[in-house]
Amino acid sequence: MKSAFNRCILAFTTVLAVGAIGGQACAQDKPLKKYESGNKEFWTHPPDDWFLGDETQAQKGLTPKAGPPTGSSDAELAATLKNIKLPPGFKIEVYASGVLSARQMAWGDKGTLFVGSFGLGNVYAITDNGGKKQVKTILKGLNPPMPTGIAFKDGALYVINVNKLIRYDNAEANLDKLGEGKVVYDDMPSYAAHGWKYLAADKDGWFYIPFGPPFNIGIPPTSVSQIRRVDPKTGNAELVGLGVRNSVGGDVDPRTGKYWFTENARDWLSDDTPSDKLNMISKLGEHFGYPYCHEGDIPDPKFAMGHKCSEFTPPVLKLGAHVAPLGMKFYTGNMFPAEYKNSILIAEHGSWNRHKYQGARIVRVTADPDGKNAKETVFADGWLDGDQSFHGRPDDILLNKDGSILVADDWAGAIYRISYSK
Amino acid sequence: MVPLMLRSLLSILCATAVSAALTAASFAADLEAAKKKAEICAGCHGENGISQMEGVPSLAGQPDQFIQWQLVFFRAGSRKNEQMQSIVEQLDNTDIRNLGAYFASLAPPKAPPDNDPDLSKKGAQAAVGRRCANCHTDSFAGTNAVARIADQREEYLLKALHDYKSSVRSGGGMAAMADVAYPLSEEEITALAHYLAHL
Repeated sequence: MKSAFNRCILAFTTVLAVGAIGGQACAQDKPLKKYESGNKEFWTHPPDDWFLGDETQAQKGLTPKAGPPTGSSDAELAATLKNIKLPPGFKIEVYASGVLSARQMAWGDKGTLFVGSFGLGNVYAITDNGGKKQVKTILKGLNPPMPTGIAFKDGALYVINVNKLIRYDNAEANLDKLGEGKVVYDDMPSYAAHGWKYLAADKDGWFYIPFGPPFNIGIPPTSVSQIRRVDPKTGNAELVGLGVRNSVGGDVDPRTGKYWFTENARDWLSDDTPSDKLNMISKLGEHFGYPYCHEGDIPDPKFAMGHKCSEFTPPVLKLGAHVAPLGMKFYTGNMFPAEYKNSILIAEHGSWNRHKYQGARIVRVTADPDGKNAKETVFADGWLDGDQSFHGRPDDILLNKDGSILVADDWAGAIYRISYSK
Repeated sequence: MVPLMLRSLLSILCATAVSAALTAASFAADLEAAKKKAEICAGCHGENGISQMEGVPSLAGQPDQFIQWQLVFFRAGSRKNEQMQSIVEQLDNTDIRNLGAYFASLAPPKAPPDNDPDLSKKGAQAAVGRRCANCHTDSFAGTNAVARIADQREEYLLKALHDYKSSVRSGGGMAAMADVAYPLSEEEITALAHYLAHL
C-alpha cells in the first residue's frame, strides 16, 4: 500500500518537473476532493486546499502554482521580455524589479509609485533616484498578509487588507515612518478565501470595493458576493452590485462615471466554461448571477435552484475561461494611438484550473459607453511557459503621467512599462 | 480574532506550496558564494547545516524553495524571529537563491536511535490521521516550498508545532500549517515530534 502510494507521489512530481502528461493512472487512485463549504466553520477555518473542494474527474489534479520565492532575476526578466509580443510601435521594458508579489499600484501626488502585495504583507514605495528606481518596503509584516488593494488620495495612502481599509496620512513625506495608520472602514468579514480586494475611486472620492465568496461555489454569506461603494471620509457605504464572484479589478468609465469590473468565474466546471467576465453596473443593486448563473447563459448545475439566466445582468463581454482577469484601467492617456482612447486594458493573471493554461497577458477591450459592441483584442502576450507554468503573471495596470502604462506582475515580482512611439 | 483570521488566511495557498513551479531553473546557483554566506548560519544551525543547538532546526537537505520562502518571510516580517531578523536584512535576492540551493545540496541529518518506539507508533498514526504526507511527501523529505520534517530535531518539531497551533507562526503566505496544527492535541504533538525525529 505504502510503496504504491510512494510511486504515485514520485510520478506526480515527475509530471510537474517535466510538464508532461503522465502518471494520471496514479492520480485516479485517489478519491476526488470534496468539501461542504456552505457553513461558517468552512468560511472561518477553510481547509488548506479549500479551492480543491469541488474537484471533478475531468479537472482532477489541477492546482495553483506558486512563483519563485524571490521573483525573477534581472537576467530572467530580460529573457522574458524578449518573448513578449506587442502591436507595432509598442515597447515593453522593466520599470522596477524586486517588487515581490506585486499587486495593485497607485501614484502619489509627488511621483511615488505605491504597490501592494499578495501573501507577503508588504507595501512598497518606488521612487526615482536619478533615473534609477528605488524600491522601498514601507509596510511589512501586515496581518493578514494580504494588502492587495491600494489607492492614493488627498496626500493619503489607502491600503485595503481583507477586512480593514487603512489610511496613512501625508504618506509621501513619511515613507520611512508611515505609522499604524487609521482604520476608516471595517464593516467587512474576515473570511480569507477570496477576501483579497481592490480599490477604485470615483469622482466623489468614494471607493468601489469587491467582496468575493469564501469558496468556489455555494450560497454566499450575506456580507459578500457583492460590490460596495464606500466613503472613506465617513464610513458610509452602499451596496451597488450583487451576485458577484471573485472580482479583483475595476475602474470608473471616464465617459459616464459608471463602474466596470472584472470577475473570475467559478472553477471545476470544465476547461472551456464558464467564461470570466467584464461587467458594468448600470443601475444600483444589479445582480450579476452568481451563484445561480455563470457568464450570462450557463445555469449552475447545482446552485441555479430554479433561477433562469435571464433574471440577471449579463456580462459586457466574455473574456474566456480561466483567463483570470484582475486589474483593469480605461486608457485616458495621449501617448498611444488615438483608437486606444477610452478602451479598457485588462491584466489577465492566467489559469490554474485548466489543462492548458490561458491568459497571462494583457487584453484591450473597446465598448460603447452603454456596454454595447464590446470587442476584445490581445494587447501584450507571451508570459505563458508551456502548458502549465508561467514566466510572469500580469495582475494590474496603471497609467503613467507620460501616457505609457505600468503593469504589475506578482509572479516575477516586477513592474513593467509599456510605451509607444511612431 | 486576529490569529484565527490569520490562520485561515494563510491556508489559502497550501496546494500552491505542493506544486510550486520550477521556473527558476535558469538560475545557476553560486554554491561557493553561498557556502561563504552560510558561515554566519553555522553559528546556530551547525556545520553543514546539521544543528547541535537546542531549539534550532537543521537546514541540511531542506528543499531549495522552502529555504528561500522562509528567508523571504523573515525579511517581510511575516515570520518573526529576533536573531533571524538582523541576519536576513543583510541578504539580497541573489543571496537567498544561493542559500536555498546550498542547504538543499547538503546531506540531511540522520536520526538518533529511537528510545521510545511506542510513542513513535502513536506518532505514525497521528501523521496518517492528519494527512502530513499530503504535503510533506511519504518520506517526509518535503518538496518545493514544503519543509523536510524527517529527522529534524525533536524539540524543534515540538516548538514548531506549538508555534503553529498558537498562531505565533503561520506558515507564511504559502503554507497551511497553522490550520493543520490548530486542532492537534498535546498528546498528538508530542507523538508526532518524536516519530518524525526518529524516522
